[in-house]
Amino acid sequence: MRELSRRNFLVAAGIAAGAGILAGCSGVAGGTGSATGTRTLRYAFWGNTVRQQNFQKAFEQMKEALDITLKVEFADYDAYQERMTTQMAAGNVADIFWVPSPHVMTYEANGLYRPLSEISSLDLSDYSDADLKDFELAGSLNTMPFGIFVPVVRSNQTLAQEDGVEIPDDWDWDWLTDFAIDYSKNAGGDRKALSYGADHDLSFEAWLRQHGEQLWTEDGKVGFTEDGLGGWIEWWEKLRKAGATTSISEQDGVSPSWEDVGDRCLLWFGNSNHIVDDAAMYPEMDFQLHQPPAGTDASAGHHYLYFPRMAVYQETDDERAELAGKVLQYSTSDVEMPKVVGLTMGVPPNPRVAEEYAEFATPDEQEMLRITAQARDADRRPRYEAPPGTSAWRTTFTRVLEEVTVGKASVSDAAATMITEIDRGISRAAD
Amino acid sequence: MTLTRTPVSSPPAPPAPGRPAKRRARLGRQDGAAHVFMAPWLVGLVVITLIPMIASLYLSFTDYNILSAPTFVGTENYERMLDDSRFWSSARVTLVYVLVSVPLQLAFALALALVLDKGLRGLAIYRSAYYLPSLLGTSVAVAVLWRQIFGHDGLVNHALGFFGIEGTNWLQNPSTALSTLIVLNVWTFGSPMVIFLAGLRQLPEELYEAARVDGASVLRQFMSITVPLLTPIIFFNLILQTIGSFQAFTQAHVVSGGTGGPVDSTLFYTLYVYQQAFVNFDMGYASALAWVLLAVIAVITAGHFLLSRYWVFYGDSDD
Repeated sequence: MRELSRRNFLVAAGIAAGAGILAGCSGVAGGTGSATGTRTLRYAFWGNTVRQQNFQKAFEQMKEALDITLKVEFADYDAYQERMTTQMAAGNVADIFWVPSPHVMTYEANGLYRPLSEISSLDLSDYSDADLKDFELAGSLNTMPFGIFVPVVRSNQTLAQEDGVEIPDDWDWDWLTDFAIDYSKNAGGDRKALSYGADHDLSFEAWLRQHGEQLWTEDGKVGFTEDGLGGWIEWWEKLRKAGATTSISEQDGVSPSWEDVGDRCLLWFGNSNHIVDDAAMYPEMDFQLHQPPAGTDASAGHHYLYFPRMAVYQETDDERAELAGKVLQYSTSDVEMPKVVGLTMGVPPNPRVAEEYAEFATPDEQEMLRITAQARDADRRPRYEAPPGTSAWRTTFTRVLEEVTVGKASVSDAAATMITEIDRGISRAAD
Repeated sequence: MTLTRTPVSSPPAPPAPGRPAKRRARLGRQDGAAHVFMAPWLVGLVVITLIPMIASLYLSFTDYNILSAPTFVGTENYERMLDDSRFWSSARVTLVYVLVSVPLQLAFALALALVLDKGLRGLAIYRSAYYLPSLLGTSVAVAVLWRQIFGHDGLVNHALGFFGIEGTNWLQNPSTALSTLIVLNVWTFGSPMVIFLAGLRQLPEELYEAARVDGASVLRQFMSITVPLLTPIIFFNLILQTIGSFQAFTQAHVVSGGTGGPVDSTLFYTLYVYQQAFVNFDMGYASALAWVLLAVIAVITAGHFLLSRYWVFYGDSDD
């Protein structure tokens, strides 16, 4: 046996360490350039198991159509954001990735997106100029929306029929206040008109826009005042204290648990797309979607659309970017995609696909298509994404609502605290 | 107790003349083999522990958001903690958690170990059953289970309802949320219990026989024989559990959905570090927070060792 000299040992250890370091750098799927095969791309997204299985089926179908293999990097929402964070630090992001809403502008500010105008395989001719303008971030089309959500109030029609109540199409906040208090007093059992839903971000944004404010400004600042936020919290506090909502204890926190109280709340503030997964939990019940209440004095153009977005990584080379363009094209402009994955991520932003899909839609999805079309047809003021430094704003929102509901802070103090904390985060990110 | 010292053996005989080269070669071969076997650990220590630690120490003096290059800011991150109310909240929550849960857990573990030491039939089964929560206690599954037990419609409230007592959502009430996590930690007493049990098995029976002959009660035997002889084991468990409790993360993360709520009542220090790093992308501040935690643990552990000379009894000491 050949003797191992000190020098040989150090060389061997050095090689082993180097290999280890390089292996460590290769990341989840072997690095940007190492996805095996010239027509293989890395694709990162989040969701639950059902979504993963559905998308996997769709990707297999896509492979037959485009001869492109997707190497999937999947995780739940929180884990996805953590992984993105570490991958960004290592410069090892997937070729195509979904963009978590709190980080849309953070990623943009750090040049993570490849401008879609550089990708010739992506055909955007189905979209109007207004649509494309809506999709832009900071004046550039660098992410591709693949769904549309709108804020809604979802009614449980089974409970409504049992209790002999009707939800009008045209309602305002005062009407809903009186109705909710009255219903909760008289419905009997443990039924309530509403869950406590003050922390629902899309509904809060709808409230702000109706009151002439907005969530974020074009120049990346907080777009609402203490009065705007305070008014929203006050509205919910009035209902909660009057017993018109489920208690914080019953609904397991200020963010209501659909699983715990969903079958005994007549109304529920949420996203339009939630109907697909939520209705599946109570198959014996029927649900209907409504536009959020709005007063006659609601500010013009208050309707808005929220887009979940995907992007092509800036460091992806030209050849792969063209392949990525084809994947984006298939994902957003071919009806075969929603036919497999459904509308859990909202209505297709491509109006042609939305129209083609209508005949395959389930009754709940029909509801989603109907309510989204209403918002899409309405006049809409521009909407701006959360600026860098605000990724924790929803956590802050939840915390100040907890402080109010346990009596630890007044509404005005809570509103001031929240705005101060968000401002501080924005300033820090800008420094 | 008399202790006998092993006689010091005479020094090894010097190598026979003419053999040093052979011996050096043999030792060299042994050194090489030892290095090869140690290499994976050494590489791991350097690459995934030491280098990241040094990097973290450097980052704690920088403003670093992951996406841009870090910029040196001196001690700004450390100064920032003084005005950060959530830093103090998380420190308070963690301190309460450590101060309450560690003594409770050790007391529980010692009590169970004493019971099991009585020579029960099926001891192995009991030992395994009690040890199981230690394996599962910090898992996500158990934290989820905890939600089912302490939720509004959970087992605890059903049990209270049987006695006509109206419960609350223990995890959503800021006054009780931390207590439920303390209960969860105490429940994972299996690991210190097994160590206590091993220690109890080593205690010399003749001391108890002598005490019984002298008429000592069971309590007196426990206080005068068991506890003093067990102090090294108590000390060992105390150090391990204190460090582990300062680093508790999973339970609070799962139970509070990562927020540390309600109203920051379960905002463990590690959870706050995580929020700063992975939610706010404030890696510089998160690194500074992590180093403060390391310093606090080091100081407390050193304090434990300093105080141990007054209460820990080692059989081979001259005291």
